[in-house]
Amino acid sequence: MVRIFSKQWIKLHSYNVRICHWINVIASGYLLISGIHIFLDFPELYWGHTGYQGYPAIFKLSDWGISWDDAGALGDRMWGRNYHITFAWVFLINGFVYVVWNIWTGHFRDRMIPQRNEISIEKLQTAVQSQLSLTGPKRHAPDNYGILQKLSYVLLIFVFTPFMILTGIAQSPGFTAAIPSLLDLFGGRQSARSLHTIGTIFLVLFVVVHVLEVVTAGAWNKIRAMVTGNLALQRDKE
Amino acid sequence: MSRRQMLRHGSIFCGALLTGCTSETFVPPHVRSGLIGVADVLTMSTNRFLLSRQQLAREFQPHDIAKDFPMWGQTNPPDEEYQRLLRGGFKEWRLPVTGLVEAPRSLSLEDIKRLPARSQITAHVCEQGWSAIAQWTGPPLQEVLQATGGVKSNARYVVFHTVDGWYESIDMFDVFHPQTILAYNLNGNDLPVGNGAPLRLRVERQCGYKNVKFLKSIEVVDSLKSFGDGRGSISADYGFHWFAGV
Repeated sequence: MVRIFSKQWIKLHSYNVRICHWINVIASGYLLISGIHIFLDFPELYWGHTGYQGYPAIFKLSDWGISWDDAGALGDRMWGRNYHITFAWVFLINGFVYVVWNIWTGHFRDRMIPQRNEISIEKLQTAVQSQLSLTGPKRHAPDNYGILQKLSYVLLIFVFTPFMILTGIAQSPGFTAAIPSLLDLFGGRQSARSLHTIGTIFLVLFVVVHVLEVVTAGAWNKIRAMVTGNLALQRDKE
Repeated sequence: MSRRQMLRHGSIFCGALLTGCTSETFVPPHVRSGLIGVADVLTMSTNRFLLSRQQLAREFQPHDIAKDFPMWGQTNPPDEEYQRLLRGGFKEWRLPVTGLVEAPRSLSLEDIKRLPARSQITAHVCEQGWSAIAQWTGPPLQEVLQATGGVKSNARYVVFHTVDGWYESIDMFDVFHPQTILAYNLNGNDLPVGNGAPLRLRVERQCGYKNVKFLKSIEVVDSLKSFGDGRGSISADYGFHWFAGV
């Protein structure tokens, strides 16, 4: 008996999703690196409106073995600020195009927003279990996102990203003069800076999990699909 | 500045709002090349658009004031002339106000203290990451310019020279903002040397590096091209964005 593999292609990602995805990868990469540079030049976090060297801190990098001067030598805040602000605009405009486009085309409604029949305690339990046992069968069809995927993308796009943008501009004296409620929302410039930093850690964790998922689901096929739009389905034939 | 001039600046500003990013209100004096320059213009124009009603920066309560306001950067200029003035309690210190003003003159510290003053409790926001709340007192910059006859109609920027050789500039949008003051008093006391005695600039809607210390002279100009590398400030020549609202 000879096993024959035949490849069947399905259209997985639209032009818009693919282009926005890779612009986002570049913008987020620059935002992360430049953000680290900015942080290293003042490697302490505080809470409230006030915070400076010597003021009670909620986090000090020096407690983790990297002194103030060592951190300062690693970080270049001028480069960091220039690129952070530049790629914040790239990120924002790209994200805006992505969101408006995909609301318009119905992509969010059809593929991203969890359907009513997907949300139940048992279904979520099953999904979490099959997710945790990396070898277990994925319950969702390859051309549709799983419920956990849908939930995490929706949270990322509509909750987490706005949070990062708002905690970012809440640190700006110009924007907080225009929108003073930003100061009240986060409890001050230093609180916003701390929340922005904590948010960054969650974003990095999201990317780590996202990349792990891609790897376990077949890295080459998945990455190719994000470039060409087409995902290969392997089917056994007798 | 006369009432006519005020109206004139007002109409220039409204016109700029209607016609888009053509005025210096929305575009920095020197636009950097590449993507960074595009972002600079986006940042400044968005900020200025949102602040088009000339909103004030948040003002805080006396109990919010930080106990020890940091002394950052230059804390005691080694300049000989400055040290001599400091020893004399700044009695001989003078602030020349020159350029495009109707009646250029040098103001003594007493002259400046006689002008109508404003006190404001605001958060100083350093681009490096720290911030601290303090009370600043001094005449609004527009009062100082009024004391020299007001600015001429072609005035576009005010340049600040400092004892330690720095220069910085702001445009008319910030010059005529009520919170833009020349502060001689910090938290009820004479401005300490470490914070820029005897006089420093407060531009509350921009980051710390705009708020230069140790003022030496003020110049009203129509172009920044002849200063340093022509980017409007030492920090901009060095590579920071001239507009420090973010």
